[in-house]
Amino acid sequence: MPQELILFTKNLGKQYKNRWAAQDINLEVRRGDVFGFLGPNGAGKSTTIRMILSLIKPTTGSVELFGHKLTTHRELALQNVAGIVEKPDFYLYLTAYRNMEIAGSLTLGKSPDRKKIMETLELVGLSERALDKVKTYSHGMKQRLGIAQALLCDPQLIMLDEPTSGLDPQGMKEVRELITRLSKEQGITVFLSSHLLNEVEQVATRMAIINKSKMIVQGSVEELLKVHANKILFNVEPKKKSLSVLKKIKTVVEPTMTDGGIIATVESKHVPSVVAELVNAECKVFSVEPKHSLEEYFLTVTEEQT
Amino acid sequence: MLFIGMKQSPFSIRRLLRRGTKSTTPRNDPNILMLNLIYWELFKTYAKWRTYIGFIAVGVLIPLVMWIMWIEGGKFIQYQLRTLQADFLITGNLFNGWVIAQIIMNGLWVHVPALIALVAGDQLAGEATSGTFRLILIRPVSRTRILNAKYFSTLIYSASLVIAIAALSVGLGLWIFGSGDLIVIDKEGITILPESNLVIRFLFAYALAIWSMFVVASLAFFISSFVENAIGPIITTMTVIVIFLIISNLPVESVESIKPWLFTTHMNVWQQAFRDPFDWDRIIHSCLVLGAYSMVFYAMTLWIFNRKDILS
Repeated sequence: MPQELILFTKNLGKQYKNRWAAQDINLEVRRGDVFGFLGPNGAGKSTTIRMILSLIKPTTGSVELFGHKLTTHRELALQNVAGIVEKPDFYLYLTAYRNMEIAGSLTLGKSPDRKKIMETLELVGLSERALDKVKTYSHGMKQRLGIAQALLCDPQLIMLDEPTSGLDPQGMKEVRELITRLSKEQGITVFLSSHLLNEVEQVATRMAIINKSKMIVQGSVEELLKVHANKILFNVEPKKKSLSVLKKIKTVVEPTMTDGGIIATVESKHVPSVVAELVNAECKVFSVEPKHSLEEYFLTVTEEQT
Repeated sequence: MLFIGMKQSPFSIRRLLRRGTKSTTPRNDPNILMLNLIYWELFKTYAKWRTYIGFIAVGVLIPLVMWIMWIEGGKFIQYQLRTLQADFLITGNLFNGWVIAQIIMNGLWVHVPALIALVAGDQLAGEATSGTFRLILIRPVSRTRILNAKYFSTLIYSASLVIAIAALSVGLGLWIFGSGDLIVIDKEGITILPESNLVIRFLFAYALAIWSMFVVASLAFFISSFVENAIGPIITTMTVIVIFLIISNLPVESVESIKPWLFTTHMNVWQQAFRDPFDWDRIIHSCLVLGAYSMVFYAMTLWIFNRKDILS
């Protein structure tokens, strides 16, 4: 049974004068997804997120959240949505606690419970700094406070735009773990945009790639990467001789010389025989690595688009 | 400052905002929702140091003026009454707190508008500068409601500043200089207002002053909606006021037809409270013109704000 569609965009686009910042964006995000929205800088990720969160008016298309159209039922559509767009900003002259109160009251229509605020701050490790003004916070602390304000009202969908931007490796790891925990333990759907592919690869279940304002692909991470599941990197010497050997083998498709070695498409059941042929040809085989990473896939599809 | 640092507010309105009414949830009750929004806008306004610049300025300048008047004020009144004293016997305490308070009300031309623009101009531009539009405008609350809450809190601030001026100038003035009749000398003649009805007159005058200051607040608020720096609205508002004031006072026939439609022509409507009898036609006309300006500025702000793309 297909999962409920909670975010649906149809031909969503934004044009500024003669330039399209995003066009024909057709997203389908289902309940429980950790949805990775990938693209290089300037591709249109932030523009798309801003349109979904009603910060920007689309030029074309529509957005539906939880079955409600954003243009006609904005309040219902955003009722269960939280987000952080680029870097989280706060009222620096107020304490973290007051910022949380303000954010929560806008969603709930009343001031949130003190206990709930403190519990949420505890979750992100800021409970001891709750009564300090946000202007005294570091960048990492502000990022965590941003996540806290997003979680405060128990959203069903969280939209995170570059959530690890500016964080150190430890901070990035904590955010990834939090995203995984939110999805698996609390059943929250996460929409995560980033240009850091390895970061998304570790957490995303479904993804879409956008490049030069257009969406290229969308689907399950597992299914999309299966396309490249048979890519193998042969770390061999001498390279030229090895390349000529591989070109003669029928089970090896399109062997290509790269800086790291020779990449070719080979079904896994044929890999031992290919290695044996290289050895018989007196080629030295240092390593054989499967290349089905998201980075490889991303580079391939974006180059194809170009 | 009333709300900051208080863990449990003694005010029932805050308890109401937490619990809502018994019959409806806060989200479903638009009145409670609006009350909640206005509360937090007021909280944000009065938590900023710049809000208190106006009150501090008033708190320093009014006593300073009174000190100067204490030293030199007697001579000032003598000078004002010099032509009358030749033909009339003037008795009583004409140099009293009511006179001083009325003199101070002339700050409503430029000084008080500047202090109001300082806060009103920051209401929307300040959120754009700090990036906090991305915090509030992704919430399930309409932009219209958020704008209305900001507008009402701006008007409340404007009123509170005028009330502070009123309380300080009348209170301190009566305490230092005592009470008495109010003599008003202007181009329309001489009016002596008995002490017995001055309280009502001054209340009426300050109410009219608040109404005229709402236009200044609305103008600064409007300019704040399409810039991302609070300095712009402040300077632009004061520039508009000064230019309109100049036009309003130009003794040139070609501008006579537009003078009645400039809001600065009617900003001194508070002076009508010191006429005897009241010129109700003039008061009502001025109030309607001022109210129309406020509404037009508000409507334009609403139109811009609902269409604005938040890119910062």
